[in-house]
Amino acid sequence: MRKDLDMNSKKFHLWDLPTRLFHWLLVLCVLAAVVSGQLGGNLIDWHGRVGLVIVGLLAFRLVWGVVGSSYARFRQFLPTPTRVRAYLRGDWQGEGHNPLGALAVFGLLGLLTAQVVSGLFSNDDIAFVGPLFELVSKNLSNRLTGIHHLLSNLLIGLVALHIVAIAFYGHVKKQKLVKPMITGWQEGEGESATGGGVLPLIVALAVAAGAVYGASGAWLPEPPPPPPAAETPSW
Amino acid sequence: MKSKLLLALLTVTLAGTAIAQVKTEDAIKYRQSGYGFMAWNMARIKANVEGQYNKEEVIKAANAIQAIANSGMGALYPQGSDKGTGWEATRVKPEFFTNKEGVTKVAMAFNKEANEMAKVAATGDAAAVGAQLGKLGGTCKGCHDDFKAKK
Repeated sequence: MRKDLDMNSKKFHLWDLPTRLFHWLLVLCVLAAVVSGQLGGNLIDWHGRVGLVIVGLLAFRLVWGVVGSSYARFRQFLPTPTRVRAYLRGDWQGEGHNPLGALAVFGLLGLLTAQVVSGLFSNDDIAFVGPLFELVSKNLSNRLTGIHHLLSNLLIGLVALHIVAIAFYGHVKKQKLVKPMITGWQEGEGESATGGGVLPLIVALAVAAGAVYGASGAWLPEPPPPPPAAETPSW
Repeated sequence: MKSKLLLALLTVTLAGTAIAQVKTEDAIKYRQSGYGFMAWNMARIKANVEGQYNKEEVIKAANAIQAIANSGMGALYPQGSDKGTGWEATRVKPEFFTNKEGVTKVAMAFNKEANEMAKVAATGDAAAVGAQLGKLGGTCKGCHDDFKAKK
């Protein structure tokens, strides 16, 4: 399809548009979530909304990791011990996420998933509860809130490592990782990504929408109206 | 016997003001009750801001928070009460009892915003109440972040 173009300029299509959009939207949302979570106050309501967007993004990426285009598929960059060892020895050949980077990808996706799930059931002991708080006991919610706080520190650490690693690759190993994530094109020789057409995209978007709906608690039955308070002189 | 009486007399005299002797377990219960009651009132204000606004309800809730904020709850933190169980195990951090400056800061901030909350509630301005609720909640968080242990 893009073969003639590839030959002339020695570059190939690495990251499909949905993967890139996912990545940069996730950057924005995580940034917004960290800031709103740290500042608190009324921003905590925005923290909850941003969390729901992140639920959608993660659900999308998990599906896209199966049905997306070749380099975006999990199977393509599964960091098996063999691959990681080969990479550390300098024997690994390939494009896209290298085995070490893949560890970070899976780590970030896993941590973020745990983070949004715990957040859905959390409470701040002030005036905010996660959208699925009603489904668990206060005690369990408190525990999940504790986990949510703990994971936020881990996440910030892993994101920092991710950025440092990219800087390291850029300056020391002379591999530009940011540009392909923006343009989608990688310089050099390689096969352009295939797959991940319109139908898989629709499936992934539908799953994402379903996940956001489920996480929003909009399907929860309205709590029954509280029984009227006892008739007493006005307190 | 005599010496005990003397000691009791001395204690009362030295104390100067009348402070009800509260067992640690009760002190923890009282303070937990205070925060729980304030949480109900915070939720009430929030519900009014987000839904049908009822000025009288908000005034009641804001006044309740203000009253608790100005009740001298600090007296419910006797030394050593970073451990113990009231309605549930206390979650106050040991730092609360060593970082006097920090505690004063978060407590003063909370008092200020609770007083302001009552004032704003009296105006019946829903948008202003919503904004003030955020500020007040921020001061709750200020203390939770530093002095309340995560589970």
